[in-house]
Amino acid sequence: MKNFESRVDELRKKFEGALVGVKDDRKLEDLRNEFLSRKRGHITQLLDELKSLSAEEKRFAGKLINDLKLYVQDQLKSFDRGALAQPGPVKSKFELRSPRVVTAQAGEFDLTLPGEKLPWGAPHPLTIFQEEIENIFLAMGFSIAEGPEIETDYYNFEALNFPPHHPARDSWDTLYLGDDLLLRTHTSPMQIRVMEKCKPPIRIIIPGKVYRREAIDPTHLPMFCQVEGLLVDEGVTLAHLKGTLEHFLKTLLGDRIEIRFRPSFFPFTEPSAEVDISCNLCRGKDPSCPICGGTGWKELLGAGMVDPQVLKNVNIDPEKYSGWAFGLGIERTAMFRYQIADMRIFYENDLRFTRQFSLK
Amino acid sequence: MKISLDWLKEYLDGDFSAQTAVEALERIGLMVEGREEKDGDVVLEVETYSNRPDTLGHLGMARELAAALGLRLKKRDWPLSELTVATAELAEVQILDEDLCPRYCGVVVKGIKVGPSPVWLQNRIRSMGLNPINNVVDVSNYVLFSTSHPIHAFDLGKIAGSRVLIRRAKKGEGLLCLDGTDLSLSPDMLVIADEAKPVALAGVIGGQASAVTEETRDVFIESAYFNPVSIRLTRKAAGLQTDASYRFERGADISFCPQAALMAASLLTQFGGRSSQEPADIFPLPPKKKEIILRQRRINELLGVEVDEAFVQKTLTDLEMGVELQQPGVWRVRAPSWRVDLDREADLIEEVARFFGYEKVPSVVPPLQVVAPIPDKNREKLARVRPLLFHFGFNEVVNFSFSDADRERLLATGFEAVEIRNPISARASLLRTSLLGGLLETAAWNRNRGLDAIQIFETGNVYFRDDRGCRERLTLGLLSSGPREEPHWRQKSREADKSWDTIFFHLKGTCEALLQQLRYEPFTFEKAEHPCFEPGSGLALAIKEEKVGCLGLVADRLTDAFDLKQPVGAAEIDLSLLFGKQPKPFAYEAIARYPAIIRDVSLLVPRDVVFQDICNAIGKVPLPILEEARLIDRYSGESIPKDKISLSFRFIYRHPQRTLLAEEVDRAEQQVLTQLKWAFGAQLREGGKIDNGTGKN
Repeated sequence: MKNFESRVDELRKKFEGALVGVKDDRKLEDLRNEFLSRKRGHITQLLDELKSLSAEEKRFAGKLINDLKLYVQDQLKSFDRGALAQPGPVKSKFELRSPRVVTAQAGEFDLTLPGEKLPWGAPHPLTIFQEEIENIFLAMGFSIAEGPEIETDYYNFEALNFPPHHPARDSWDTLYLGDDLLLRTHTSPMQIRVMEKCKPPIRIIIPGKVYRREAIDPTHLPMFCQVEGLLVDEGVTLAHLKGTLEHFLKTLLGDRIEIRFRPSFFPFTEPSAEVDISCNLCRGKDPSCPICGGTGWKELLGAGMVDPQVLKNVNIDPEKYSGWAFGLGIERTAMFRYQIADMRIFYENDLRFTRQFSLK
Repeated sequence: MKISLDWLKEYLDGDFSAQTAVEALERIGLMVEGREEKDGDVVLEVETYSNRPDTLGHLGMARELAAALGLRLKKRDWPLSELTVATAELAEVQILDEDLCPRYCGVVVKGIKVGPSPVWLQNRIRSMGLNPINNVVDVSNYVLFSTSHPIHAFDLGKIAGSRVLIRRAKKGEGLLCLDGTDLSLSPDMLVIADEAKPVALAGVIGGQASAVTEETRDVFIESAYFNPVSIRLTRKAAGLQTDASYRFERGADISFCPQAALMAASLLTQFGGRSSQEPADIFPLPPKKKEIILRQRRINELLGVEVDEAFVQKTLTDLEMGVELQQPGVWRVRAPSWRVDLDREADLIEEVARFFGYEKVPSVVPPLQVVAPIPDKNREKLARVRPLLFHFGFNEVVNFSFSDADRERLLATGFEAVEIRNPISARASLLRTSLLGGLLETAAWNRNRGLDAIQIFETGNVYFRDDRGCRERLTLGLLSSGPREEPHWRQKSREADKSWDTIFFHLKGTCEALLQQLRYEPFTFEKAEHPCFEPGSGLALAIKEEKVGCLGLVADRLTDAFDLKQPVGAAEIDLSLLFGKQPKPFAYEAIARYPAIIRDVSLLVPRDVVFQDICNAIGKVPLPILEEARLIDRYSGESIPKDKISLSFRFIYRHPQRTLLAEEVDRAEQQVLTQLKWAFGAQLREGGKIDNGTGKN
C-alpha cells in the first residue's frame, strides 16, 4: 500500500511540475491526456491495478486515486487560460483584406446612388415577334427559308396557279418593276423555289417582306412582313393543318383564344381556309370594337391544302403527296396580341416604342 | 356583292330569317361584311371570290343557300308576248371573232314605252345602291343582279343597217361611251358594231349613240359570253370597270345566254314590248361537258376525316351537279355550267368540305418526322451579328424599301435605282439603293421627339439595276449620333461623348468587332471618299482588297436635308458579299504558359504620321516575341511640341516555350524604337518608359 501511496504522491508532484511549465493550449491538452486519458492516462493505469488488491486495500487506494483525479481535474479546470499564448495569424500567400463595413451613416460611399449601366440596344418588335413564331415552328421540326423580294411573274403567280390575266391577281395588288419582274406580293413564291429544290418531306416556314400596291393607312401598308408555312409529305391532311395552326396560335397568343376555320379561296390551295381567332378585347359584344368590329372574330391568316396543280408545277406527284400551306401577316398578328391600333407605328421606328418590346 | 333578302326569296321556297341566311352563308365561306335594313328589306354585303362569278347575282347566292339550308329553288317562268317575225328578220347578228366571243344571243323587243320603272323594280335597283333610270335600263340591271349575267339593250333604230357585228375594233375607231368617256379603240379590243361603226365596247360598256332614250321604241337585247381575258385586258386598257366587265372577266355562264335575253324580253312585255321569235343564238363551238372523277378515298385522305358516302352524294346533288356512282366510292360528276371554278377532283373535295363543315374536321398534330434542316448561311451569320450590335448599343429599326428620285439624288450612291412602274406615290417610286436614307429619316424622327442618343441599325435589302438586271443585296446599315447614354453621375465628360471622334471610333469599333466575331480576318480600312460622307472622313472596309463596306461622318448636306444638327456617323456593309466570303477556320489556341513582359512606351511622333503606318512599321520588325503592340494613350498638349503628338504603346512580349529575360526584351524594344525612329523620326518621350513587370496569366 505504501508503494501505492508514494506512487500517487509522485504523480501529483509530476502533475504540479508539468502544469507550471504549460505555455499554450496544446501543452495543457497534452497534460490532460497524460493523466486523464481513458486508455493510457496515469489515473486509468492506477485504477487498473486495484483489481489485484484486497477489498480493504481497494477502498483505501481507491480513495487516494480518486482524490488525485479530482485534484488534477480541478487544477486543469481552474488553470488560467488567459495567460496562454494565442495562435498566431495564418500566413497566406495572398494579402487578405477584410471587407470594409460601410454604412449609410459612415458617409464614405452612398450606396443608394443609381447603378451604372452600359446602354444596350434593342431588337425591333417585328423581329422579336418573327423570332417567336420561328421558334414555335423550329420546335416542330420546321426549317426556315428566305427568298428574294424581287420576283418573276412565274414564281409569284403562275406557278401558284394564278392563270395569266386572272382577276384573282387583283387581290394581290402588285408593284411591277418590269414586264416580268415584280415585288413579291406574298412569301408564297418561296414555296415554289423550295419545292423545286427539295423532295418531300418538306417542312419549312418562310418569313419575309412582301409588297402590295396599297395606300398607307392605319391597317394597310405597301410593305409588310409575312410568315409562310409549308408542309408536304405523304398522308398530309386538312386535319394536320388545323392541328398545327391551333398549336401554333395558342402558343403564340395564349390558350384562351378560340380558333375558327372557314372556307375561302386562294388559287394555290384547294380546299382553302381563312382562319379567324376570337376577339379577346370585346368578345363580340362591342360593335365599335377596333379589333373585330363586334363580330367577335378577327381574320388572321389564310391557309389550305396545296393545290394539286401547284404540286404538279414543281414535279411533285399529287397522287402520292399532299401538303398544306398558310400565310400570316406579322404586323397584324402583333397588333392583335398587343392591341396596337395603327400599323404604321412599326415603321416609324420611334425608339420609345420599339425599345419597349425587348422587355417582354 | 349586295344581296337583298327579299330578292333572294324570289328564288327560294320557304321562309328564313336574315340571321339564318347570314349564318348559313358564312358557314360555307361567304362572309357577310355588312348588313343594312332598307324599307323592310335586309341587304347584305357578301364577300365573294374571284373564282365564283356565279355568286355575283341573287340566283347564285340562292343556289348556295338552298344547298346549305336544304331549301328548294323556285322555278320561275318568263312568259313572252311574241311578234310574228323571227329575230333574224329584224337584226342580222354575225360573230367575226369566235375566240373573243364564243356565244352571242339576241332578241328584238318592239313597241316598248320607255319610262320610269314600277315601284317593285325601282326598289330592287335601289337595294343594289343604284338609282333607277328608266324601265329598259333597270331591266338590264335587274337581270344582271338577279342572274349575274350581264345583258345590254341597244336602241335598234340607231343600229345602222340593223346589223350587229361582233368584231375587233379597227385602228383609228373610237367610241363615245355611256359614261361620257371618249375612247380611242385598238384592234385588241372587241366591239359590237353596226354596219358603219362600233356601238359598244363588248362586255364593258355601251355607246351613247345607240343608247336607249325616252324616244326609243324598239330595242335589241344582247346576251353573250365574251372571252374573260380579252374583257380584262380591254377594260384595263380603257380604264373602265363596270358591273358587266367585272362579271365577264370572271367568267359568265355560257349556257345561260338565251335565258337571260328571254328574261329581259319577258320583263319588257310589262311595258308594252313584244319580242321577236327565234332569238338569235350564235354558238359556233359549244364546249364539251366536262366530267370529273371523285374518289371517296381521296376525300378522306385530304381532309383527314371520314366523310359519309351519302353525304357526298347529297351535297353534290344539292349543288345541282350531275352525280353518277361509277363504282362504290367513285363518282362521275358533271359540274353545272355556272360553276366555272369546278374543274378537278380537288375542287369537288373543297365543295364537300365546305358543306361538311371545317369545324367538324378534327385537329391533329402532324406525326413527328425527321426532316433534314435546310441550312441558311445568311441567317446563321446574322444571328451572330445581331447580339453584338445590341451589345454595342445599337437599336434595330425597320424602314420601308422605297425611295424617291430626290432622295437618290441626295444620297448619290452611284447605283442605278430600280424603278417601280406603277408606284402608289412619287415618294415611293424607286427602291432604295442604300439604307442610309431610312436611317437618317429615323434619326430625325427620334431627334425631333427629344431623343439625344441615337444609335440605330437596320439589316435589309438594298436594290439596284446593273447589266445583269435587278439585284437585291442584304445590307447592314449603322447610324450613330448624339451621346451614347443619357447623362449619368458616373460619366466623366458629357461633351466628349457626343463629339465626332467618339461617334466615329464607336462605329469603327463596332465594325471591327463584327468582322472579328465572324472571323473575317484580316480586314483593312482604307481612306476613301464617299458621296455620303464628309470629305476626308470616309473609310472603305475591305477583305482581301475587295470592298465590303464603308463608314464615315455623314456629309453636312445630308444632315442638313434631314435637319439633324449634330454630328452623325454611319456605316454600311454589304452582307450578301461579306457572308459569301470564307471565314478564317476556327481553331482552339492553347493558353500561353509562360509569363509576358509588359512595357509601356510613350513616343513623340510627327503629327502627320498616321497610326496605321506606325503599326505597319512595327509589324515589319522581325520580332516573334512581340505578342501585341496596343495604343493606350494619345496626347497632344502644352508639354508637347506643336508639330508632334504623343503616342503611348503597351508592348507585350512573350516567348511560347520559356520565360523571357529582361535583356531580350530590352533588345527587342530597342529594335522597335530604332525602326520607328528611322521610319518617322519617332522619339522616346521623356520619362516615357514604364516597365510593367511580368504579366501574369
